[in-house]
Amino acid sequence: MKTNKEIATYALDALKKSGAEHAQCLVSSGKVDEFNVDSGEFSLMRTLFNSSITMKALLNGKKGVITVNKLDKESIDNAVCDCISAADSSVVDEAEAIAPKEENEDFISGVITPDKNKLFDRIQEFMDDVKNEYPKIVLEQSVSKYSNTESVFMNTNGVNYNYTRGHYDISSTFLARDGEKSSSFNGYGVLLDSLDRKIIDVGMLRTLLEESQNQIDTVPYAGKFVGKVIITPACLMDIVLTALGLFTSDSTIIDGTSPWKSMLGKQVASDKLSISKKPLDPQIVCGERFTGEGFKSANMDIIKDGILENFTLSNYASRKTGFPRALNSSYNLFVKPGEISLNELTKSCDRGILLNRFSGGQPSTNGDFSGVAKNSFLIENGKITNALSETMISGNLIDLLNSIIGVSSDTICDGYSVLPYILFDGVTVSGK
Amino acid sequence: MIQDRVSPFKSLLKEHTELRAQVNTNRAVTMLNGNIVSNLRSEESGVSARMYKGGVYGFASGAEYSDENIRKVILAAEENANFMDSRIKKNKPMLPTVGTGKKELLKDVRDIEQKQLINFAKEIDEYISKTYSDLASRTIAIRCDSMEKLLTVSDGFDSHSLLPRSFVYIFLTANAKDGTPVELYKPFGGFGYFDEVFEKPESLHADIDSIYTDLMKKAEGVYCDAGYKDVVMHPDLAGILAHEAVGHTAEADLVLGGSVAVHNLGKPVASQLVTMVDFAHTALGEQAPLPIYVDDEGTPAEDAVLIKDGILTGYMNNRESAQHFGMKPQGNARAYLFSDEPLIRMRNTAILPGKDKLEDMIASIDDGYYLTKTNNGQADTTGEFMFGVCMGYEIKNGKLGRAIRDTTISGVAFEMLKTVDMLSDDMLWTCSGMCGKKQPMPVGMGGPAIKCKVSIGGR
Repeated sequence: MKTNKEIATYALDALKKSGAEHAQCLVSSGKVDEFNVDSGEFSLMRTLFNSSITMKALLNGKKGVITVNKLDKESIDNAVCDCISAADSSVVDEAEAIAPKEENEDFISGVITPDKNKLFDRIQEFMDDVKNEYPKIVLEQSVSKYSNTESVFMNTNGVNYNYTRGHYDISSTFLARDGEKSSSFNGYGVLLDSLDRKIIDVGMLRTLLEESQNQIDTVPYAGKFVGKVIITPACLMDIVLTALGLFTSDSTIIDGTSPWKSMLGKQVASDKLSISKKPLDPQIVCGERFTGEGFKSANMDIIKDGILENFTLSNYASRKTGFPRALNSSYNLFVKPGEISLNELTKSCDRGILLNRFSGGQPSTNGDFSGVAKNSFLIENGKITNALSETMISGNLIDLLNSIIGVSSDTICDGYSVLPYILFDGVTVSGK
Repeated sequence: MIQDRVSPFKSLLKEHTELRAQVNTNRAVTMLNGNIVSNLRSEESGVSARMYKGGVYGFASGAEYSDENIRKVILAAEENANFMDSRIKKNKPMLPTVGTGKKELLKDVRDIEQKQLINFAKEIDEYISKTYSDLASRTIAIRCDSMEKLLTVSDGFDSHSLLPRSFVYIFLTANAKDGTPVELYKPFGGFGYFDEVFEKPESLHADIDSIYTDLMKKAEGVYCDAGYKDVVMHPDLAGILAHEAVGHTAEADLVLGGSVAVHNLGKPVASQLVTMVDFAHTALGEQAPLPIYVDDEGTPAEDAVLIKDGILTGYMNNRESAQHFGMKPQGNARAYLFSDEPLIRMRNTAILPGKDKLEDMIASIDDGYYLTKTNNGQADTTGEFMFGVCMGYEIKNGKLGRAIRDTTISGVAFEMLKTVDMLSDDMLWTCSGMCGKKQPMPVGMGGPAIKCKVSIGGR
């Protein structure tokens, strides 16, 4: 067995011979070259030779799933026995199934031949740019890597997808320091399919570096008010994914605790809000081409003009509840931009905060949230004023999504998502 | 058990090089309202090498565990170290020596069949569904993981180590009077294989009853009044305070990156009541929750005293940072997977107990909160921290009042620790969490009940 397809074919055959009525298999292999910068200096170069196989077997309506990272015959034979044994011990569930056959397809995405020296040079250039243009910034840690992967998905219904992809992945954690004073740390990550641009010019990096330098001196907010909050693209991803996880995902739809369980096709948010997941959009780097369950991925709307169009359910949860399955399982979020600039959005905010990072407890299923406003600024009379510390915000996610005042026309693309700034109302801000 | 293929390569390891074979296993069963929604077993294994040259590291790993592949990863690590050294030229000296020796495996390597985990989950689920029919939802999640490492180093201690953990998480959801869902969860378990940690499902019944009772109180609970408040933190929160708010700022890599601890060594950062230690393998005469005897750089592990009587006394180091700060490396360099390089990590971090009684601590507060359970926590290099609080009570005139809904507390560690004026005379350890810092890592954390002032979120 030399190729991933030969390995997947062997594993499926072995699962069937061991009694599985239905089985699926995902085999992946690849290589990662990674450069690490710690405290502003190169520290490590890392090379990983990766491999993995995940197999799922259905035995008398019962499921077992095994993942191992060795692809030799003995390891796969052992994993097949383990998978069948796990399924045999499980509970019958008629919602378990494997994907039906669609037209098989091979996919290729991103950059397949990396340029290791150029990556090193771009990182060096990034470190120099930061030092020259943002002298108070300390790059606490920067991890830059090139990854390539070939994945083969096959199942016993005849589904067979092959996906070859490669991308650069740059993530950086930084803070600003001036003598004994320092800002909170902040972090940012991007996916790239070329090294044509300087790293410092990608996504929100320049904005966040500039803002960190302005966050060395902070003011704790004194008192409490209910006001507005501009959530930046760097923070919006977390907020939207949290809301979708609580209100539209498998667990809360299956157990019926989602407040949106009967809201499909109904208004759940302001009509200014439209959210989609689009792994096939050309702005997304190496987006998902097939789901972990073996369905070909397609772009999908979740909320359109405030109306809940789809839950984000797996095929299992779909069969369990009768609601449609999600057309992809990616995190490639798009929020539709509005028609006014960020500058105008800020001017329209009489009293509130610009929220760059939210450090909070896991919100409740009913949507209640509270946490600390990190890397954030006070907005007074339409102007950004003091950087904040020791300032908490709280509210309810459902109320928040229904209290949108405006969405910016500016959007930020980081390779994972394309998101605007959104001005929300009705958030409680409290300090010491 | 990992067969020893790495020690024959010891003589080939150049400069400072670590060669590590490792197996990580995960076993997971999740039952949601009687449905098995997760029935998963996974294993990641392989070998890695890391070489230090002139102030930079080269690292390589591969899954195949053969003599040929071991040679390949050693060569690839060396090539990476040479590439970095040729481009960077830091010209730093060799790492400090830590003595030589060998630590043998202290516990047998075993596995648990999935059937045993599924049957346990089924029995717990049956108990909850029969006993508490008014719940909106119930989830039983069983998680068992283990980490076996076989380490050979060019200079230092070789070791063979094993860290198995087993946990049962119970999540219950009820509907409040207004129809909104209210949830509560609690983890049970700790170090050891599943059948060593859990004797039988019935042994958890009393704890499940207690979660249900708390949940019903929470369903009728009130939102906190946001502001700066007097609180008593249950020991469950003291551990996460020690780990998140203080521990991370005292990790030497974050100190070098500019954490608040950089300018506070030798200075008062807490009330004189506070002493905080990152224990290696033995704490207060007993085995620590996750005992570490040799770290992944081959350094023998010993306790790191971080705060002594309120004074910041030390950092947690790897060999390189210890050399930089002129401190002794104490075994804090740990890697999660075979394919991960060692990073500076905590092991078993705790605030030591004091002399007070919990009831006296509560009685001393006129208007505040008793916070009993947390569901997550984060902290900043400035020491500003946040914990999610998923259970607690009002304190009014020295007595416990109504339960509270989910909230969040925050503060700045070195300011908040100066407000500590009472510590209970008992303590609690937990090790169910995973610390996140480039790689995940199992860690132990503990402490007593703490009386202090924090900011609390609310409506």
